[in-house]
Amino acid sequence: MTVRSEPALVAAPKKIRRSWLLAILFLVWIVLARVTKGKATLELPVPENTKFTTWAGDVADSIRGNRTDGAAFKYFFNPIREFIDGFVTIIREFIAIPTGNSSIPVLGWLGVIAVIGFIVYAISYIRMAIAAVLLIFACGALGLWTDSMDTLAMTLAAVILSLAIGIPVGIWAGLSDRALKAVTPILDLAQILPTLVYLAPLALFFLIGPASATIATMVYSIPIAVRLTAFGIRGVPVSPVEAGTSMGTTTRQLLRKVQLPMASRTIILGINQTVMAALSFVVIAALIGAPGLGKPVVEALIIRNVGEGFVAGLAVVLIAIMLDRSTSAAIQKEKSFVPPSDADRKRRKFGLIIGGILTIVSIVLSRQLAWAAYFPEQINVSDKVAHAADSFIVWVTENLEFLTAGLSKVVTVGVLNPLESVLSNSPWFLTVTMITLISLILGGIRSAFITVVLLLAIVASGLWFDTMITFTQTIVATLLTMAVGVVLGVWIGRSARAERMLRPILDAGQTLPAFVYLIPMLGFFGPSRFTAIATGIVYSIPIVVKIVGQGIREVPTTMIEAATSAGSTKWQLITKVQLPAAKKSLLLATNQGLIFVLAVVVIGGFVGAGGLGYLVILGGSKPQLQGKGLVAGFSILLLGVMIDRIAQYTVARNSAPKH
Amino acid sequence: MIRNKKVAAKASVLAAAAALLLSACGGAGVDAGASAAPTGDAAACGSYAIAMHAWVGYTASAQVVTEVAKAAGCDISQVTLEEAGVTYDAMEAGSVDVVIEDWGGGRWKDWADRGALVEVGNNGNIGLIGMFVPQWMADEYPDITDSANLNKYADLFKNDESKGKGAWYEGPPGYTTIGEKLVAENKLNYTIISTGSEQALIDVFTKAAADKTAALGYFYEPQNFLAKVPLARIKFPANDWTDAEQASGLTDYPESPLMKLATPKVMDANDAFTKIVKNFSWTNADQNEVAADIESGTDPAVAAQKWIDAHADVVAGWLK
Repeated sequence: MTVRSEPALVAAPKKIRRSWLLAILFLVWIVLARVTKGKATLELPVPENTKFTTWAGDVADSIRGNRTDGAAFKYFFNPIREFIDGFVTIIREFIAIPTGNSSIPVLGWLGVIAVIGFIVYAISYIRMAIAAVLLIFACGALGLWTDSMDTLAMTLAAVILSLAIGIPVGIWAGLSDRALKAVTPILDLAQILPTLVYLAPLALFFLIGPASATIATMVYSIPIAVRLTAFGIRGVPVSPVEAGTSMGTTTRQLLRKVQLPMASRTIILGINQTVMAALSFVVIAALIGAPGLGKPVVEALIIRNVGEGFVAGLAVVLIAIMLDRSTSAAIQKEKSFVPPSDADRKRRKFGLIIGGILTIVSIVLSRQLAWAAYFPEQINVSDKVAHAADSFIVWVTENLEFLTAGLSKVVTVGVLNPLESVLSNSPWFLTVTMITLISLILGGIRSAFITVVLLLAIVASGLWFDTMITFTQTIVATLLTMAVGVVLGVWIGRSARAERMLRPILDAGQTLPAFVYLIPMLGFFGPSRFTAIATGIVYSIPIVVKIVGQGIREVPTTMIEAATSAGSTKWQLITKVQLPAAKKSLLLATNQGLIFVLAVVVIGGFVGAGGLGYLVILGGSKPQLQGKGLVAGFSILLLGVMIDRIAQYTVARNSAPKH
Repeated sequence: MIRNKKVAAKASVLAAAAALLLSACGGAGVDAGASAAPTGDAAACGSYAIAMHAWVGYTASAQVVTEVAKAAGCDISQVTLEEAGVTYDAMEAGSVDVVIEDWGGGRWKDWADRGALVEVGNNGNIGLIGMFVPQWMADEYPDITDSANLNKYADLFKNDESKGKGAWYEGPPGYTTIGEKLVAENKLNYTIISTGSEQALIDVFTKAAADKTAALGYFYEPQNFLAKVPLARIKFPANDWTDAEQASGLTDYPESPLMKLATPKVMDANDAFTKIVKNFSWTNADQNEVAADIESGTDPAVAAQKWIDAHADVVAGWLK
C-alpha cells in the first residue's frame, strides 16, 4: 500500500492544477460564448447542400450505376454476398424456413425445442435446459414462432462469422502492440459508426436482403469481440507470463496454457456481448431486409402499436436470456472444482441417453405430425401481453406526467440549452479553440493535435453546426449515464445478490432494440432532444454497469482486506480503494458509454432531436440530400473518433506514472 | 473424469445430429396432411415482393393488393423498408417489385432513367399536405387558420425546444416538406423542429388535443387519424408548384395524386399481377376505412379481406 501511495502523492498537486486550469477555461469560454452569441455558427439550412455534399451524392449515384457490370462488384462484392446469403439460408432452412419441396424447415417446433433443450443440458445443467425450453416455448406462445426462429438463425449466422473473425484478431491484438495499433483505428471506425449510418451504404454494395443484414450485424458485433478479447489478454498479470517465459514455454504454449485461460472471463464476456449485439442488431437490420422479429417491431412502429412492439421486443429478450444464461451456466460448470462422484456421473450418463432418445423421437415426430411441426395456434398470449403493455404506458403517460415532464424540463433548460448555446451557438473558431485546449489539458499535446485536425475536418465538411448539436446531446446523455451507471456498477460489483437481481434487467435493456422503447419514450417526452437523450441513456447504461461491475469485482481481495483491516468505512472502501483500482474499467466504461450513446443519438433523429442523426435519416429518404446524409454519417464518425481519442490519451496520461 | 462426461456429451450430440440427417433424408410426412395446397392457377401469375412503408394508409393499400394478388394465384411477399432511396435501390436489385403509394413527385427519376423502375400512374388517392393546428385552437382563435396571422400567435407555440420562437413541427424526412421555405419566405417567427417520424407528429397532436395545449405541425390527408383527432388546416396562398424543389415558399402545398411504381419485371410479365398493379385504384375514403380497421387492432390481412368482400365489383375491375 505504501509503495502505491507514493506516486499518488507526487501526482496530486499536478492534478489539482489541472482541474483549476479546466475551471478557468470553462469560465472564460462561457463569457466569450455569451459575448459572441449567434456569430459565425456556420448553420446550414436543412434542405441546402454544399459543394462537398453534392459531390458525395454524385459518388453514391455512380456506385449505383456500376452495380451490375463493375469489376469490383463482379469479383468482390457479389461473391461475398452470395456466400453469406448461402450460409444464412442453410441455417434458416434448419429451423425457420421450408426446405426444398417440404412445407416445414428440417425441424418442426417440437424438434427445435428438443434439440435446444438437449444441447443446453449437454453443456450445462438440467434446470438450465428446462429454462431454455420454456423460454423458447414462450416465444411461440407470443405468436412469433417463425419470426423467432428466423431471428435465432440470423443471430447464429452472424455470431459464428463474427467470432470466426473477431477472436483470432482479438488474440493477435492482445499479444502484439503493433497489431493493436493496426486494428484500433478500424475498430474505432466500425464501432463508433452508428448502425443507421452504414445500413444504407452497405445496401448500396450488398443489396437489400439477408446478406446486407448479416454484414451490417457483423460490422456491429466483431469490434466488441475483438476489443474484449484483446482487453482480456492484456489484462493477464505480467508475473505468470514471465514465469512461463522463464520456464521456456513457446509462445503458442504460453497463449494456450496461460494467457487464454486467465483471460477467459473477459473473452467469454466478449462472446456474450457479441451475441447480445448481434441479437439486438438483427432487429434494426429489418430496415434493410433482415427476416425475423425485426419485421413485427418495424410494423409496430408503423402503426404506433406499443403493445405489438413490446411483444416482439419481449420475444427478442427471451431469446437473449436463453442464450446468455445457458452460455454462462456452461462456463460455471466448466469452472466447477468439485469433481462429480461416481453416482453423479452414472446419473448424468443415464440422463444424456434418455435425453438423446427423447430428442430423436421429438425430431422424428416434428417431421411427421402436424401438431409437432407447426406451433399450436391455440397457445397464444400475445393479445394479453400487448394489452398489458399498452395499459402500462397509458397509465404512466396519464399519471406520471408531472415526473416525465419535470425531468425533461430540468435537463433541457438546466443543462442541454446552456451547453448547446456554448457549443453550437458561438463562433466555430471559439469552440474549436476551447475543445482543443481542453483536450490539451486532459490528454496532452498529441491529443490536442488530433482534436484540432478532426474538428477542422468537421468544419470543412460543412456540417459543423449540426455536429455540435449532436455533440451536446452526447455529452449530456453520457454524463447522466455515467452518474447512474457507476452507482449501479459498484452495487453489482460488490454484491452477488444485486448482480443476480439486475442481470436480467441489464440483459433486457441491452437486447431490447432501441426502436422498441423509442415509441413509449416519445409518448413520455414528446418530440424533443430529451427523448433522444433518454433513449441513449437506457441503451448505454447496461454496458456501463456491466463493465464497471466487472472492474469492481476484479479488484484484488487482498487490497480490500487490507483496507478493511485498516478500519476503512464502506464509503471509504468504495471511493478510496475499489473505484480507483477499477479506474481502467471506469474509463473503458466511459468510452463504451459514449459510443453507445452516440449510436442512439442518431436514432433520436426519428423523434425530433435534430443534428447529424436527422440528416442521416433525411439522406436515406430524400435522394437530393443523400450526399449530405453520407457526409453527416462521416461527421459522426469524426466526432466519435475525437471523443474516443481524447478519452484514450487521458487514460494513457493518467496511468503512465504508475510504472 | 471430466473427460468421460465430455465424451458422453459429444457422442449424444453426434447421435442426435445423425438422426437429424437421417430424418432429413427420409422426406417429411407433414406435407401430405398439413399444408394447404395453393389455390388458383400457379401458371397465371409469378412471384413478387411488395414494399411495405411506414404509414398505415400505405399498409392498407399494399395489403389489399397483396390479398387480391394472392387470390389470383400470385406468390406475394412483403418487404418492410424505408421509403424512397432505399426502396428504389431494392427495386433496382430486384428484391422489391412494387411501391403502391409514393408521394415523391418524381424523386425516383434517376432510377427510372436507368430502367430500374417504371412509373405506373396514380393509385386513385389524392394526397394533401399542410400545416395543422388542433381543432380547439381554430375554435378559440378563428383567424389563426390564415397564414398571415401566424406571427400574431407565435407566442402561443413557444416551448423549451423552440429557442424563444414558435415551435413548427416539420414532417418526417421521407415526406415532401417545404417548411424551411415557408418560414423563411413568409418571414414567420417560428423555429423548425424536425420530428423525424409520423408517430412524433401524431403524439404532438394527440397530446395538444387532449390537454388543450398549442401545437402547429405538418400533417396530411388521407389519414384516418384526422377522424379521431380533428385538426384545422392553416391556409397559405394557393399553390404555384408541383415539384417541391421548385416551390417558392410563399404558397401552400398542392394536392398531389399518389403514384404507383413497379419494376420492368412486373410490367413485362403480363400476368394477373401486372393487371392488378396497373389497374389498382381506390378513393381516400376506401383507404381510410381499411386503415381504421388496421389501427384498431384488426390483422391487416383480415381488414383488407373485409374490404375486398364488400367491393367485389371494384376488385373484379382490377383483374381485367
